[in-house]
Amino acid sequence: MNHLSAEDVARIADGESQDDSHLRECAICASAVLSEIRLKRAVREAMPRYEFPRTRFSPSGRAKARPTWLVAAAAAAVIAIVGIALFYMRGNSANELVDMHATLLASPNAVDVLSTDKHTVKPWFEGRVPFAVPVPELQPPFHLVGGRVVYWHQQPGAYLLIAKGAHRISVFIFRDELRAIPARDVTTEVWRENGLTFVAIADVPRQDLDALRRFF
Amino acid sequence: MTFEEMAVPLLSPLYTYARWLTSDAHEAEDLVQETYLKGLRGFKSFTPGTNFRAWMYRILRNTFLTSRSGLKAQMSIDDDPDRFERLPVETTPESLLFVRYDVERLRAAINALPLPFREALLLVDIEEMPYRDVAETLAIPIGTVTSRVMRARKKLREAMQ
Repeated sequence: MNHLSAEDVARIADGESQDDSHLRECAICASAVLSEIRLKRAVREAMPRYEFPRTRFSPSGRAKARPTWLVAAAAAAVIAIVGIALFYMRGNSANELVDMHATLLASPNAVDVLSTDKHTVKPWFEGRVPFAVPVPELQPPFHLVGGRVVYWHQQPGAYLLIAKGAHRISVFIFRDELRAIPARDVTTEVWRENGLTFVAIADVPRQDLDALRRFF
Repeated sequence: MTFEEMAVPLLSPLYTYARWLTSDAHEAEDLVQETYLKGLRGFKSFTPGTNFRAWMYRILRNTFLTSRSGLKAQMSIDDDPDRFERLPVETTPESLLFVRYDVERLRAAINALPLPFREALLLVDIEEMPYRDVAETLAIPIGTVTSRVMRARKKLREAMQ
């Protein structure tokens, strides 16, 4: 009787081949496959699996934690553009928000509450800012990353970090009114709603910010 | 889906793979971090619907191979699948069937395998990757995956005797 090749045995043990008809007739090949499976199991038991160190995660991240350096990495992608933009910007105190956008994205801790869940982020702001922060139920391609408190002109405000693909959109929410921000190479969107001022800043096309605005 | 949504679940599997490759916790962390940076930067070139996991593993592996320790670990091996296509099955099954694997010895034997064998074996046995995905990750033909896995196991058995 012809036996299976060693490769055939490996393929069957690894689930790459469903043809086991020969094994019903050949004890030698059947035991070879069994031996292969035993070795696979032993390898699995011998080699530890590792968890990526929790220290690389934001302390506020739990089930949906994202590594803070991942956010920082995103910052690297936009920081150059923001830098160019800053060079061209005119003196407008609102431009400080663009600075803040760049600074936060470059930080390993861009957000203090790290969650994609609006029901986690929204209550987190309670007691931290003097207004109810509207955290929208976003739909793809937008995803909430988290939030934090920011101060602008001595006034506390809410900061939401929103992802769209590899892009990061900063949304600042204040009570004070704000003029449009003249900025080159970054897109900004400023609007007022329910007594609050919203400022969105990102290196995305304007229509993306328009689409995002509709969620608020 | 966003890069983060697709990539974050792979953190620990990629870290495990990095630990296997580097045998060093800190180097593995750096390797994973660099992999994510490269993945993020190159995400626009990733074709949706194709194998994201294999894509990330490949980035990690290529990053490792171009590192100092990766260059050291690379070995020239003869793994032309045609040369090993019809190796006969072991015909002493009783010695194979009843062997009890000593975990420490087996781990040492796995770590002593040449890198190309070790990574193919571990991706198949522990990550439970299909051969097709391993082939894509390692940029080798499926036949070569099969022969590497088979030869890795053969070497392990020899080491455990």
